[in-house]
Amino acid sequence: MGINKIALKAGGPAGAGVFTIGAMIARTLQKMGLQVFYTADYPSLIKGGHNACYLRAEQEEVHSQLQIIDVLVAVDAQSIEKHYKELTENGAVIYDSDVRGIDKVDTSERKDIVMIPVPMTKTARELGDKIYRNVVAVGAVAALIQLDRKKLEMTLEKHFSGKKKDSNIIEANKSAVKKGHDYVKENFKDLDFKVKMEDKYKEESILLTGNDACSIGAIKAGCKFVSEYPMTPSSSILHFMASNEEKYKIVVKHAESEIAVINMLCGSAMTGARSMTATSGGGFALMSEGFGMAGLSETPFVVIQSQRTGPSTGIPTYTEQSDLRFMIHASQGEFPRLLCAPGDVDECFYETFKMFNLTDRVQTPGIILIDKHISASAKTTKPFDTSKLKIERGKLMTMEQMEKAKEKVLRYKITEDGISPRPVPGQPNGRYVSTSYEHWEDSFTTEDSQMRIAQVDKRDRKMLNIKEEEIAPVMIGPDNADLTIVSWGSNKGMIQQAMKFLKNEGINVNFMHVLWILPFPVKKVTEVLSKAKKVLIVEQNKYGQLRGLIRELTGILIENTLFKYDGRPIDPEEICHKVKEVM
Amino acid sequence: MTSIKDLDNANVIQWCPGCGDFPILTAIKQAISELGLNPKDVVVVSGIGCSGKTPHYINTYGVESIHGRPVAAATGVHLANPNLTVIAVGGDGDGYGIGLNHFVQAVRRNVNITYVVMNNHIYALTKGQTSPTSLKGTKTKSTPHGAIEHPVNPMALALAADGTFVARGFSGNLKHLAGLIKKGITHNGFALVDVLQPCVSWNHEQTYEFLTENTYELEKSKYKPDNRDKAFEKAREWGLKKIPIGLFYEEKQPSYADQLPWAKPPVALDPIDDIDIKPLLEKYY
Repeated sequence: MGINKIALKAGGPAGAGVFTIGAMIARTLQKMGLQVFYTADYPSLIKGGHNACYLRAEQEEVHSQLQIIDVLVAVDAQSIEKHYKELTENGAVIYDSDVRGIDKVDTSERKDIVMIPVPMTKTARELGDKIYRNVVAVGAVAALIQLDRKKLEMTLEKHFSGKKKDSNIIEANKSAVKKGHDYVKENFKDLDFKVKMEDKYKEESILLTGNDACSIGAIKAGCKFVSEYPMTPSSSILHFMASNEEKYKIVVKHAESEIAVINMLCGSAMTGARSMTATSGGGFALMSEGFGMAGLSETPFVVIQSQRTGPSTGIPTYTEQSDLRFMIHASQGEFPRLLCAPGDVDECFYETFKMFNLTDRVQTPGIILIDKHISASAKTTKPFDTSKLKIERGKLMTMEQMEKAKEKVLRYKITEDGISPRPVPGQPNGRYVSTSYEHWEDSFTTEDSQMRIAQVDKRDRKMLNIKEEEIAPVMIGPDNADLTIVSWGSNKGMIQQAMKFLKNEGINVNFMHVLWILPFPVKKVTEVLSKAKKVLIVEQNKYGQLRGLIRELTGILIENTLFKYDGRPIDPEEICHKVKEVM
Repeated sequence: MTSIKDLDNANVIQWCPGCGDFPILTAIKQAISELGLNPKDVVVVSGIGCSGKTPHYINTYGVESIHGRPVAAATGVHLANPNLTVIAVGGDGDGYGIGLNHFVQAVRRNVNITYVVMNNHIYALTKGQTSPTSLKGTKTKSTPHGAIEHPVNPMALALAADGTFVARGFSGNLKHLAGLIKKGITHNGFALVDVLQPCVSWNHEQTYEFLTENTYELEKSKYKPDNRDKAFEKAREWGLKKIPIGLFYEEKQPSYADQLPWAKPPVALDPIDDIDIKPLLEKYY
């Protein structure tokens, strides 16, 4: 790949710290001014098994993983067995030579690759603990690809500061890096490895995961109440919010079940507190009844759902996009809801913020639908620009407005725009029951035929308060293309990556990323699809859930499909291959 | 001052004539009124069942949630705004059947809400099936050969979960019941007020007459509600002339919200217009 371009994978059993290897190299490369993407692949266990961390860095924006790597870092034998074939020509394997049998892995099919044994375990033990083994590996990588040592030390200091009080920990890790580094320098003096990284620092960037970006978006939006039950791959949102509860004055409750979670939100949001939960498909299955209550009682809150491979337990630590239909239809009865599927960390931040505003505007629950791939993958981007972000709370009533009210304010008043005033407990003139039962304008229950129709229609009208421009699909690439790719969610990164390759080959492709799915941007999607010469839809599911929805709402059937459902994110190479097949 | 009238509204009550729910509603209103609470600062939270209608018959704020979930919804209301007085109401099916998990969790959490359970030992609104508190052998539409399980003992459950306020009332003893609810509202922590009541339509065993004859007030005996072991003994008492009502146990402990100093003043009232996220981004540079 040459100067300032690298793809690297670190593999080993859970508990060996391979994600730390990836994170440290990624952060160091970021500090050297490179654009970075990294992601994690792991089974559902605590120790053992096979974990892998993948990273890419370049001077240009890096959107996703690829199928190839230049460097493989292996702390066990199976990591070599599983991944050595992914190496590019003359790629390198850095491995822990102290692992029994690791030298016996047969890599004879690939005589071009460079094997770099490093006594990681022994070196770590000399430093007092086997735990430093992964950091020795980081040092070895630093020597091989010429990472900036100062920036690597800065990364170490930041990574380990605050975690343990003992400053010896930082020193020990620095020694581990040095030993790994010096070992490679001394023992592989003549090696001129094809990848070299140079410091190109120009401007600051941030490097974070989709889950962290969603969490920060929620905090910026003034989320004040979080109830959550841990579920992979959403749990880091719970951890993020909990670690900031005191500083940002947020009530964060790890509740007894997802059923408790959603009903707590029905309570907290009713008091006016912006409220949120995060879960995965199985957790949302338990929430679906309470979600419907929010629909009928017109209670706004935000649910982040990070999909994993289903149904049921499925492959719990892997990715998929098979819950779109479920999220659109979950809960009995009909009611409006919002659904947005961010495709990268920027959209995770900005759209989560926006979702809080829109749910307040139309007083109904909203869903941020992501997946494991976006939850757990980190990417560099520009520091978030908050200058244009404004909190809008719709018809949430202020104390002043309620004190001035001359008569009782009707919570479920039939209004022209469908949106009714929303007083909160503690305010005068507004007493009402936030109810799961169909009701009169004052909230008292009813079975009355006309009022039923009036309330259903009122709730339906609320969605017209969101303009199509606000929820437009994201168009990427030239206006006139020979083929239009349609997709949603985390595929955005892989498609953008594929488009770069295709462009280099002279293939003219554009891309419609359907960011907001409820309300659905019918006009724009119809317009794009009607004009497109050829269309390919890309989804990570078996049945083409967005494809079906597009057909339902626009009448257009997209004939070319790329559906993947093995739990792994679609690779850009697969998209390129499919595009060429269709063209 | 808040009068009972301030708490009335024009909604037509849909309970059966003679239902035990009526005096319980009155007792809640009396407690609010006697404590001088402003109705705008009170939230009554229910689930589903006959008890689910309660918030509509009392002129405070309210939440009519879904079946079995009033305690969870009430917890959300309370933690978002602890300035409010939150009273959860539910039935025996709602609270001790489908919602049992939330009940036990709220007890051990000591969340500062008062939970009034309208316990008539039967599923009434669904027209007469066995409930978690139906006695063994009770014949109902869903148990024509008699209920096989042992009934849930709410007093013992709350005591076992380290409950800090465990009480039982009787809908036929209004003054005593209102006193218990009042005490429960004043108690800083989770207050369980289980209320024995007749179901005039479906329960022909625990009738008004049966309960009147067989309950006795703990306050009129030598019993003191300060010993958890003794309270357990009382919780196991049940039989002719031997059904205790009153305060079984009370203990002062910090409530859940007491241990969230950042959540008072209420997070629901916290300004959110200009939240600085710069410190959050630092670690990503």
